[in-house]
Amino acid sequence: MTTQPDMGLIQNILQFIGVFVSFSIAYVAYRGVRQTESSSLLRLATAFIFLGFGFLIEGLVGLGNLVVLPISTTEVVVGGLLLETTGYFFLAFSHVVDVLISKRLGAALLVFPVITLTSTQLADILSILSFYFVLYGVVETVYSYARTRKPDTLLIAMGLSLIGVGTFFQWLSLLYQYVGVLSLLQIILQEMGLLILFTPVLSFAVGGVKVNGTV
Amino acid sequence: MAQYRTQVRIIADVLSTAKENNTEGTGVGVTTLLRKGNMSYARFSKLLSELVGSGLLVELDGDKISKYVISQKGIQFLDAYFAFEDFAQSFGLRL
Repeated sequence: MTTQPDMGLIQNILQFIGVFVSFSIAYVAYRGVRQTESSSLLRLATAFIFLGFGFLIEGLVGLGNLVVLPISTTEVVVGGLLLETTGYFFLAFSHVVDVLISKRLGAALLVFPVITLTSTQLADILSILSFYFVLYGVVETVYSYARTRKPDTLLIAMGLSLIGVGTFFQWLSLLYQYVGVLSLLQIILQEMGLLILFTPVLSFAVGGVKVNGTV
Repeated sequence: MAQYRTQVRIIADVLSTAKENNTEGTGVGVTTLLRKGNMSYARFSKLLSELVGSGLLVELDGDKISKYVISQKGIQFLDAYFAFEDFAQSFGLRL
């Protein structure tokens, strides 16, 4: 039977896979920004940079629990969750053309943790916000698939759906018991989703695009 | 809803036209490129100079009218552009 430290170790490994996948997607998107000056790719890169750092912080906090590093505090976990939620926000609003609205909502998102809430309440709010942002991303991606009929787009919608269910479990784990099981389930679903999101990066790497002709 | 073309999209359109319409290898005329560029002649002339200056298009010396062919660098640029467009579309986004 899996013990609590084992579960923590699995969760940490999965978090660091999330870090790798997120930064890989961000890197390809950033290369795209440099090549095409696309604002959509810029928002995509920003989303995955935030997600990557969010996972990194959560992974490091978990590592702190295992090897007794002085970084395991609730505030740091909330910080990681905030980064993750901001990442999902940018992912959802990559679809929105009106950048001004995104900026205003982004500012609101960055300001609201200042409101005096307990760490648990904050984590709760961030998890449910993440869920709605991912849900919005799923709807937009499915809509985009209906227009383009591109199989990769449908795959990404599936990946986002898994991440969405994962964030829902994350929220549940804050409310109910069986926290360990729910957290593990959440991370497994999120990682499966992220690995699916990694597919375009893989096909990009296999394609071996060389970028020389910048304008 | 109107979909605005970015500068890079316009460049990709012009380069694609230069690539696809150069079937005989003698280059593509300004009129053909301008039709695909879908912009004013003054703005298009400026863009054409920039594309030649940056080495994405090569101007061929003709008797009366100039013709243009896409360079190797231009082909590489187009390949990269379409790869990133494909990448963005996978996430349901437009470049």
